[in-house]
Amino acid sequence: MYGLLWDAIVNLLQLKYLLPLVIGTVAGVVGGALPGVTITMTVIIVLPFTFGLDPLQGLAAMTGVYVGGSAGGLVTATLLGIPGTPSSVATTFDGFPMAKRGEAGRAMWLGVWSSLFGGLIGGVVLIAATGPLAEVAVAFGPWEFFSLFILALSMVAGLVGRSLLKGFLSGAIGLVVTVLGNDPVMGQPRLTLGIEFLEGGIPFLPVLIGVFAFAQIMGDVERIGRGGTLHESLDRAITLSVSHLKVIGEILSRPLLLLWTSFIGVLIGVLPAIGGSAANMMAYDQAKKLSRHPERFGTGTPEGIVASESANNANVGGSLVTIMAFGIPGDAVTAVMLGALTIHGIQSGPLFISQNTQIAYGIFAAYLLAHPIMALVIALGARLMLRVVTVPKAALFPVVLVLCVVGAYALGNNMSTVYVLLIFGLLGYAMVKVELPLAPLILGVILGDQIETNLIRAIMTDADLWLFLTRPISGGLLAASVASVAFALWQHRRQRGRELPDEEADDF
Amino acid sequence: MKNSLAILAVALAMAPAHAAYPDRPIKLIVPWGAGGDTDVIYRTFQQDFQKRLGGTVVVANVGGASGTKGAKEAKDSPPDGYTIFAVHDSIHSTYYTGVADVNWTDFQPICLVTATPSILTAAPKTPWKDAKAMLADAKAKPGTVTVGATLGSTSHFFPAMVEKAAGVKFKYVSYEGTAARMNALLGSHIDLAESNLTQKGKADAGQMKFLAIATEKRMAEIPNVPTLKELGIDVEYAVNRGLVAPKGTPPDVMAKLGAACAGAATNPAFAEQMKKHGTIVHYLDAKGYTAFLKKNDAVNKQLAKELGLLKR
Repeated sequence: MYGLLWDAIVNLLQLKYLLPLVIGTVAGVVGGALPGVTITMTVIIVLPFTFGLDPLQGLAAMTGVYVGGSAGGLVTATLLGIPGTPSSVATTFDGFPMAKRGEAGRAMWLGVWSSLFGGLIGGVVLIAATGPLAEVAVAFGPWEFFSLFILALSMVAGLVGRSLLKGFLSGAIGLVVTVLGNDPVMGQPRLTLGIEFLEGGIPFLPVLIGVFAFAQIMGDVERIGRGGTLHESLDRAITLSVSHLKVIGEILSRPLLLLWTSFIGVLIGVLPAIGGSAANMMAYDQAKKLSRHPERFGTGTPEGIVASESANNANVGGSLVTIMAFGIPGDAVTAVMLGALTIHGIQSGPLFISQNTQIAYGIFAAYLLAHPIMALVIALGARLMLRVVTVPKAALFPVVLVLCVVGAYALGNNMSTVYVLLIFGLLGYAMVKVELPLAPLILGVILGDQIETNLIRAIMTDADLWLFLTRPISGGLLAASVASVAFALWQHRRQRGRELPDEEADDF
Repeated sequence: MKNSLAILAVALAMAPAHAAYPDRPIKLIVPWGAGGDTDVIYRTFQQDFQKRLGGTVVVANVGGASGTKGAKEAKDSPPDGYTIFAVHDSIHSTYYTGVADVNWTDFQPICLVTATPSILTAAPKTPWKDAKAMLADAKAKPGTVTVGATLGSTSHFFPAMVEKAAGVKFKYVSYEGTAARMNALLGSHIDLAESNLTQKGKADAGQMKFLAIATEKRMAEIPNVPTLKELGIDVEYAVNRGLVAPKGTPPDVMAKLGAACAGAATNPAFAEQMKKHGTIVHYLDAKGYTAFLKKNDAVNKQLAKELGLLKR
């Protein structure tokens, strides 16, 4: 295994792979640093540029975006107090106060080095767990997959957003979307109303672009002109020079914190569809609870930065495990990567790692290499990035929107995917308005066909419905879905008393 | 990107010099995703084919709806020789099972290129040592042996022929596409499935069992796997892949396409490359291929009828 990994790293160091990886990482860091541009949007914008590349080149670029994006948010979060992406929200809590004290360099580099360490811990899990998990996944029959997908849906509906009911409603809309088009077994058209456009069903990538790029940008467009300008905070003289040894020492002198928050990041990454936006908040919360000085959190304590930034990069490793072992996207970014795999003709799923060993290890290598590249990019470009983030949103958003539409068109080289984007952009915008969470919708669209197909396969193999409960793994997964809904109910009841502060938009 | 630039460059270079066909890139529609058997075969074939044709041939993957989405697009394209279609036996079965309205008669055959013989394959956890044991079991307990298949397509028709010839009864489970079917077989979630020589690595590793091959004689690559005929089951089956053009394509263009196909398909280097994909080169010219398609169509119609899937 280590031989394979070594070969993959050496292979990736060739210019033809290194270049897309570096470009992807730069794009990720910049996209991550730009407030209002999420990692998901960045990866959507980069995707069409990878069509002409070979699969590993394309995936290396996407991995770079993912890793770079998860770290890039910290630049704006620490230096300007604005989270560049939802996954760096918690970084602002302590990063910005520290920077305001005049320790901008320390704040930023604490974030960068924590991202690097958290990411590498995530990498260890990724490389060690994917193979064994994939072997487990081969043993999964239709019953187990059905129950696993149900668990994924119930968890997302329960854990994302403030209302359980709204979560389920959103998931149900996603499931209905997958019913449109030909049925997955005999190809009978359903709910197509005789419209040829609907016959092939609704592809999920344009839906995802519509919901996560279009709808989100429309929301941001409404906010243009409100709030202070970035230029004021930039006028302060910022020194970024710092003793790296001291900063690294500060992080490594808290090994338990680093391990624990990275572990939280990985775990949330492994769970389907809860992305970095949840990972950094939960890790921050945990760090605060475990700290001997919880009162220092929010005033510029290094622990807060370490927790948030190690978790969101470790989260990337976890998400990659899920997609590579089970073919289930861990979050919106991996959902786009799943699409990219399909476009390059690679079937994700339990056999991915054994059938496409070279590409699987190539992704591992890209993930590991992206971290030092990310640190280098930030070291060289942090100052420049601060200039970029002050580009007026009125100029930035139209460009992002155009790139999204071009990306959607490039998926099938026809207009129908663009129409899908438009329809779901409007639907997503309407959902944001009535406070329906978007993540369950997307997961519903991604998993709906799979749930139906596996249900049908299970029944075709054996008509006995009790098998869903009596097969141990399947039964356990279903029990876990019931438990997760019960937990969500309990949690919502508990929170009803105290009103939560405003939540940021979910990254997934 | 590099590809499209090259295409553009070639297109620009060709335009003024030759007014004759082909003066711009030719689109070869593969109705399945990239990386599948059909895609791999035609991407190999395309290289020599375009050289002989004297123009660029671009493989376009138009997947979806059991391969019928690409078929529809090909059928609706102008019959000018700039769109050709990579067809296989599913065109007959999807027509008769009612998945799509497109049939082979909507096209003009150019040539038959390859045949990939089917192998009856069992899951690793099945108790059977060979095909005989499996058939005895299937006979003793009708309707219990599960077979994974893309319903209404070649992977369904092949086991159905075995079923009929051996007088047994299988139970079918829908697994659309080769990849899903092979996953299910590896995990022993189904007992049997159609596969081909591309899975030889897994069979050698004991991850699946080749029971019998549907060829006339044993194949040199797997000398220990008996033919169905040896076992007294009179079934020969292969997935046959050829090229067709939309109906109405001019005769001079058809002739050019046919000549280029003959050269590329009979090139020994191509046969060598196809061996790696468990595929035999089976070249037939337009006339021979038309007769072949006609016969194949009748066989498929009859099969659909016997399977109770006939919708026309």
